[in-house]
Amino acid sequence: MSGTTVATAPVQRASTVTRLRGWLANPWGRPRFLVLITWSYMVWSIVPVLIAIQFSFNASRSRTIWSGFSLRWFTWDTDSVMNDPDLRHALGQSMKLAAADVLIAVPIGVLLALGLARWRGRGAGTSNFIMLFPLVTPEIVMGVSLLLVFTHIFTVVHTGTLAQVLGHITFSISYVVVIVRGRLFSIGRQYEEAAADLGASPAVALFRVLLPLLTPAIVAGAAITFAISIDDFVISQWLSSGGGTVTVPMLIYDATRAAPLPSINAIASIMAFVTLLSVLAGFLVYRAFTRGERGAGGGMVGDMAAFDI
Amino acid sequence: MAGEVTLVELVKRFGDVTAVDGINLEMPSGEFFSMLGPSGCGKTTTLRMIAGFEQPTEGRILLDGNDMAYTPPHKRNVNTVFQSYALFPHLNVADNVAFGLRRQKVGKHETRERVAETLELVQLTGFEKRKPAQMSGGQQQRVALARALVLKPAVLLLDEPLGALDAKLRKALQLELKALQQQVGITFIYVTHDQEEALTMSDRIAVMADGRVEQVAPPREVYEEPSTVFVADFLGVSNLMDAEAVGGANICRLQVGDFELDATQGKTDARGSVRVTIRPERVQLEAQDATGQNRVPGMVERLVYLGNSVQVIVHLAVGTTIQALVQNVGTEIPWKQGTPVQAHLPADALRVLDDTGAALAPLDEGAVPA
Repeated sequence: MSGTTVATAPVQRASTVTRLRGWLANPWGRPRFLVLITWSYMVWSIVPVLIAIQFSFNASRSRTIWSGFSLRWFTWDTDSVMNDPDLRHALGQSMKLAAADVLIAVPIGVLLALGLARWRGRGAGTSNFIMLFPLVTPEIVMGVSLLLVFTHIFTVVHTGTLAQVLGHITFSISYVVVIVRGRLFSIGRQYEEAAADLGASPAVALFRVLLPLLTPAIVAGAAITFAISIDDFVISQWLSSGGGTVTVPMLIYDATRAAPLPSINAIASIMAFVTLLSVLAGFLVYRAFTRGERGAGGGMVGDMAAFDI
Repeated sequence: MAGEVTLVELVKRFGDVTAVDGINLEMPSGEFFSMLGPSGCGKTTTLRMIAGFEQPTEGRILLDGNDMAYTPPHKRNVNTVFQSYALFPHLNVADNVAFGLRRQKVGKHETRERVAETLELVQLTGFEKRKPAQMSGGQQQRVALARALVLKPAVLLLDEPLGALDAKLRKALQLELKALQQQVGITFIYVTHDQEEALTMSDRIAVMADGRVEQVAPPREVYEEPSTVFVADFLGVSNLMDAEAVGGANICRLQVGDFELDATQGKTDARGSVRVTIRPERVQLEAQDATGQNRVPGMVERLVYLGNSVQVIVHLAVGTTIQALVQNVGTEIPWKQGTPVQAHLPADALRVLDDTGAALAPLDEGAVPA
């Protein structure tokens, strides 16, 4: 092996493998390898959902064999979402829990975020840390603990809708706090100080300056709260008292273990659609409100990442 | 006339750190008063205490004789122009400026009039409907000014308001700010770390270091007659030399190394170990064979071309390095690196300083700032 042979050898056409490598990993070209991985993941994660949604429009009773488009499982079949009382009720229960959760958890979460972000001193760090606990506690542990609390300590609550609402609030408050607190940190204290400097009492500063600036984070928090409440299975299941307190995820779980009809797909499609819509609405509002803000390049994700512990 | 601020033995501690260490200052009504110092000297903390964002640990803050140290910020008749402007991003220019008037429950008609008037004052008529994000830095800065001025405060506090702007705009706004202050006639308390800014605009300057006031005087006096080593050093380059004051009364006889120098400025009655300073523009470089009083031989170490002048760094035979500023009058200067010269340090330019006050931040020998 000598260097001279290599130097004098005629330039050979690159092999197919080399060319493919060059196409995938050309440092000056588009990052095709990353694009490939990203799209593979997108397909992998979204195709099952799309198939499930597709079969909610199936014309036959099969959930595996496609026999044409139909809205029967949404509207006119006796077992459709509209006609089956169990399905209708589950949908109602899920919506009720999600709405109650948003209405209660968001205001409390905003207040907690304000308190925690502006509280300096002994105990502040600990409280901030504890606030994140529900985010990392396994849901099943929280479900069991809440069940014990409601059946042995606060027995007035019982299991049922009230317990489910309380359960949902317990874990969704943390999400609101994290999002709102992140935004509070990223906007800093300067606007509050400016408001006070111009003669605004703390209450006026809160309503005229701070809350308008927090609106995007509050809306994002509400959207996420709604989405995770609609989606929740474990806590709803543990705190349910059967019958009227069955939510959509619980119903789907039970149904798929028996002999499911495409109406289950239909109700799942409705849930997916509602969740998607709420998150999309949250995102759009967030973007609309933060447009043109200085240093808001990170946007919602940046704000969420801005919290520190 | 209202707007007289007096600080009495003002102290602010954050935990173990003393940010402001017993400040006494009097800022008479209608004065353009600057607090000048390096970062961490306590100037911003002092301003924030006057605004009410921080509570003093000790001491009093008098506005026209009334102690307002414990009055919350929204009840003080002072307004602030923030370094970051802190314009409300969700409100347009007119609403930003009207914010304070609405808090005072000023009528709709009057509010509109005063907003228009103030926007005219800062030359922003026609920008009412813009959002802050749609404006340039200089324009935002004017909105911030208008928002504070519209309330006709007794005192306007400015926290490095020009810090975020580029040099050219900063120069233009310096002159504008000064003119504006003379026009509205209220007390301006201005915080900056830029000595040129302070010298250009102020009626008086308080030079601060380590939470204390080093010297309070008009710009000329602070620059020409610094009372401490720190002030001399902070306001432009100062050639500092260690000397031994050995005699004289009006004329102080100094022993610097093997040389004897006379000084007529500063604490000429001092005795013993002192520091002596001379402004670079007062150092005269002469040919090696020049003779006479107050001359020290040296060698040119480096020449730095500055455009309007040439900075000559000379290593003196007494061991210290000094700078001389030679005006650029179109002729080439006769010295090169290594040329032996005589440095003439005129007696009326040599200042004897008190070696009290804040210690200087150590600079390494070679890195003499221009």
